Amino acid sequence: MSLDSSQQASAIPERAYAIGLPIAVGVAVLAVWQIGVAVSGISPVILPAPSDIVLSFNGITGELLKQGWATGSEALLAFVLSCALGLAAALVLSSSTIAFEAFYPNLVVFQIIPKIALAPLFTFWLGIAAPSRLTYAVFISFFPVALSTMTGLARADANALRLCQAIGASRWQTFFSVKVPYSLPYFFSGAKIAATMSVIGIVIGEFISANEGLGYYILRAQSYGQTARIFAALVLLCALGLLLYVLPVQAERVMRKWWRG
Amino acid sequence: MDGYIRAENVRKIYQSGKDAVEAVSGVSFVANKGEFIAILGPSGCGKSTLLMMCGGLEQITSGKISIDGTAVTGPRPNVGVMFQDSTLLPWKTVLENILFPVKIQKRPMAEYRARAEELIEMVGLHGFADKKPHQLSGGMRQRVAICRALVTDPDILLMDEPFSALDAMTRDEMNDALLDIWDRYPKTGLFVTHSIREAVYLADRVLVMTRRPATVVADIRVPFGRPRDPSVGGLAEFNDLCNELRGMIEHKRTPLRSERTGKAA
Repeated sequence: MSLDSSQQASAIPERAYAIGLPIAVGVAVLAVWQIGVAVSGISPVILPAPSDIVLSFNGITGELLKQGWATGSEALLAFVLSCALGLAAALVLSSSTIAFEAFYPNLVVFQIIPKIALAPLFTFWLGIAAPSRLTYAVFISFFPVALSTMTGLARADANALRLCQAIGASRWQTFFSVKVPYSLPYFFSGAKIAATMSVIGIVIGEFISANEGLGYYILRAQSYGQTARIFAALVLLCALGLLLYVLPVQAERVMRKWWRG
Repeated sequence: MDGYIRAENVRKIYQSGKDAVEAVSGVSFVANKGEFIAILGPSGCGKSTLLMMCGGLEQITSGKISIDGTAVTGPRPNVGVMFQDSTLLPWKTVLENILFPVKIQKRPMAEYRARAEELIEMVGLHGFADKKPHQLSGGMRQRVAICRALVTDPDILLMDEPFSALDAMTRDEMNDALLDIWDRYPKTGLFVTHSIREAVYLADRVLVMTRRPATVVADIRVPFGRPRDPSVGGLAEFNDLCNELRGMIEHKRTPLRSERTGKAA
């Protein structure tokens, strides 16, 4: 009895801590920001107070949502494409040892290149419309998915591989019934990176060339000195990034359920 | 049948760069059909390598292993293998894990499903067919691995220290379970272990291996029949045999040490 009640008593505050503490920190930062702006008298063009940002949503929410939809739909498409292409590339390049050894180091090198610097090239190659932004976003999101899935495929449980050998499994049977399932956690860790990268990719694309989207909106607000609106667009971008991130997280939960029952 | 499994002067050399390690040096033995043979030796004496070569899972450097008159060149469908680790696929249920070889070997699923269910009952896993491996204890997982090795009804069962990762009590239980299985489904078995008591308790013959040279130094017949009762372990004869085997392993160790110090000096 006493054990039960003490466990319950400690369980509730623990959860409250886990959720409450980060929220408290966030609120504290906003409060310091709000008070700091008020006390210092800094110009709202340089740094608007949080209250200014909230107020700035007034009248522009409709437009922000429209721009958010443009960015979000492109980012979602980029995310889905990069997951599909990354997975497909990983499967193909891991299907033979030669292909793996030939491509894996190259992919690692490509992953290291600061790909932001390549963004202007894409407008050069593909024009200034959506296909250019989309290709660029897929280009930068694809690598984490492909690389981490390839890593996972190469790291399948050694005992399980020996079992496959013992029961006479073919290369393909071993690949699909053991290596691919064992690589799924790796795929999802790549997909989570891709979820954030695809939003970044689209926004960078919009910075370079666009006539809609949140990246475009931020540049326009900047040119008018509407700093609060930039922050309002940033709030929406954060929400968008979170929404997209939830997709691989939820998919991974489904996978873990399948894995562990 | 005599000489069902036959190893003749089998050697295994691992080459890594310029270094060559002789893991198995010149092992010969004969296993008759229906015999349960324990390969006993200290860790690192090459007994697992020998077993894997019998299963066609390791290349033989020189010498020859044959089963039923044909040379072993790779894995065979009539050989079941058990490893130290249960090696269950975590996303498959108990039943699916047991049927994994059936699926891979494209055997008729319906037929083997009934057999798998029978095996599940026999090893005492009633009601666990739909559980996933992480819901089972270590002993239960190893029981599933036994079922998986037996599901295709192989003629030969190769066991590589299958119970060495289990706690002592579970291990005793598994030994009894294996004796039961052997009475119901007689097979030819090679069982690698470093436990002297386990070897004597389970086997009809014990092959004693030493570390250097990594070869079989004795082939001892165990004088207990089957079905074998757990009370065998209390017999004076049982303990005498264990002591004799221990003497062999230790006797072979002593000259090894002096040889080493001799070299160092």
